[in-house]
Amino acid sequence: MLRSLMAGIVLAFAGSRANVARTILSCTGIVVGVGALVLVVSASDFGQRFATAYSEANAGRPATLEVSVFEETITDRAAFEEDLVRAGGRDVSLYQSPMEPPSIRSGDTVVTEASFTGVDPSLGDIRRMNMLEGRWFTDADTGSLAPVMIVNEELAAAIGDLAQVQVGTDHWMDVRVIGVLESSALDSGWYSAYILRSPASEELIFGSGSSDEEEESEAEAMYAMGVPTTYQVRIDPEDPAADDPWGEIFTERLGSASWRWGVENRESLSSYRSDYAEMTNEAITYLSLALMGIAAITLTTGLLGVLNVGLVTVRERRRELATYRALGASRFTLFVAVVMESVVVSLVAGIIAIAGCWAVLSVGGAVLGSFVQLPDDIPLNIPPAGVLVGLGSAALVGLLAGIIPAMRALGASVVAGLRE
Amino acid sequence: MSVHVPAPEAGSAPPDSAPLLSVEGVTRHFTVSGDRIDVLHDCTFQVRRGEVVAIVGQSGSGKSTLLNILGLLDKPSGGSYTFDGVDTTALGEGRRSWLRGEGIGFVFQQFHLLERRTALANVAVPLVIAGVPLLRRRARARELLESVGLGHRLNSEPHQLSGGEQQRVALARALSRDPGLVLADEPTGALDAASSTMIMDQLLEQARIRDSAVVVVTHDPKVAARADRVVELVEGRTR
Repeated sequence: MLRSLMAGIVLAFAGSRANVARTILSCTGIVVGVGALVLVVSASDFGQRFATAYSEANAGRPATLEVSVFEETITDRAAFEEDLVRAGGRDVSLYQSPMEPPSIRSGDTVVTEASFTGVDPSLGDIRRMNMLEGRWFTDADTGSLAPVMIVNEELAAAIGDLAQVQVGTDHWMDVRVIGVLESSALDSGWYSAYILRSPASEELIFGSGSSDEEEESEAEAMYAMGVPTTYQVRIDPEDPAADDPWGEIFTERLGSASWRWGVENRESLSSYRSDYAEMTNEAITYLSLALMGIAAITLTTGLLGVLNVGLVTVRERRRELATYRALGASRFTLFVAVVMESVVVSLVAGIIAIAGCWAVLSVGGAVLGSFVQLPDDIPLNIPPAGVLVGLGSAALVGLLAGIIPAMRALGASVVAGLRE
Repeated sequence: MSVHVPAPEAGSAPPDSAPLLSVEGVTRHFTVSGDRIDVLHDCTFQVRRGEVVAIVGQSGSGKSTLLNILGLLDKPSGGSYTFDGVDTTALGEGRRSWLRGEGIGFVFQQFHLLERRTALANVAVPLVIAGVPLLRRRARARELLESVGLGHRLNSEPHQLSGGEQQRVALARALSRDPGLVLADEPTGALDAASSTMIMDQLLEQARIRDSAVVVVTHDPKVAARADRVVELVEGRTR
């Protein structure tokens, strides 16, 4: 059996090589179908990786909640942060836009329309930070005498010299820029900066003054200006609260001791799941499945093409197949040879299709890269799954398209074949 | 041509040794459109190892049908056919294929070489079927082609060879597994006189070297004259 199988495979390879024109003709439909499948798988994979990376960089890793307090003020921020942990938060970071957006300058260059956010070092655990230069905040930076800041690529380019940066509203204040964040494809063009929450940056983030009364009045002012107090919280993805997109479970837990931090109305609390990679990936998966269905239809026409060529050639090759039988090939060897020829043709088509897709994706990636900035670690290429799907579907099509011609070949008379 | 193996002269097998093949009362009929056509009637003969037998007869006398039965490509309708001690009448298709591959080599009138494949690849086909590893089968095919004087045409395809050369490739292919029996169906039918003589010389020489029996179906009296024995078929009956 094994000998017959091996003999069939060797004869199939020899047959395919000897009939190059027929092989190429048979390939066309499969090349298109497999190419379409591989492209869909590759595009889907790229889309999912890109969406995940973008979501992680801009909205948080899986199970990130954005928690806000509207209309009321938090009187004890430390107690509130303790309760965020108690409610299930693994990593907690302030995520606060300043009451009054400051301007930023370096030398004579002034940028007024930058977006600033006050954060803690733990935001680096909650979000994916793609540093272009420098580093992310550490706890040691909170002791800095000057506010510490990280700017994005566009803002860094706009302000130029990062060694002498000042920010301010009514007066300028020296700041230390310790890093530059890589821009992702969708936020390029925006000026944004993270300011580390520290004693030195309190004034920038929360406004001037330090007494409790003043803090309260500033918070009220923030509320009056429509600026809520906001935190980013990452919880355990296995936590039931992670399955609640509107954050009701987490809000319920948090609100149970809201008196500790001065919030009387639980309606003032809000949380929602801010990361969206899972949702985007699900949508991409459904879209990909629909496109793969269309590609499968194309592949089916390729299958019919190979089947047709297979049937015709078995008829044309009666004498050759009869000669194999006369030389001692068993029916099984002949069956394997005919089926494997079809599989070889299809696999060749699959390899051509994958090579074509690689070329298309290389060109596509270069063209896309000239319009949007793609992350270096998310290249547009064929994933291993794409190669597997391409070769697997090609082999399957070859197998299916080879069985009927093989049955025909077995049914033909050896004696009649030798007379032809 | 190199000859390394001493072998007995053709037809030198002792008359009382066991026959390589034995045909006993073989009949073969076909049914066409409900009509029965009897092609072979009670054919009986034996062939011993190393013997050269010519089967002669007029067109339609059943020579090719008999050859197909001897080559295990067809089954008799009646009687028995024993090859190399094995009664083939009741054998299944798989066993018949195996026996054919192991013990019988074919030489056809129209050569039946595989197009777009080199002489070397053609000779190697039975070795592929036998599961011989690549290097060994290439070496063996080369050796066989050299033995029939085609060492310089190893990579030629059939359309690049003359009729005589093609038949020599077919002969090398038939001998590739050292079969006990070589069946030749009008081996010189498509060749000129000079090529016919050369092919018969080589067929008989190579068979002698291997102590193989040769059964030749032929119309050609010159070919038949070179056989040790002639079996005549007249209207499907052996004489």
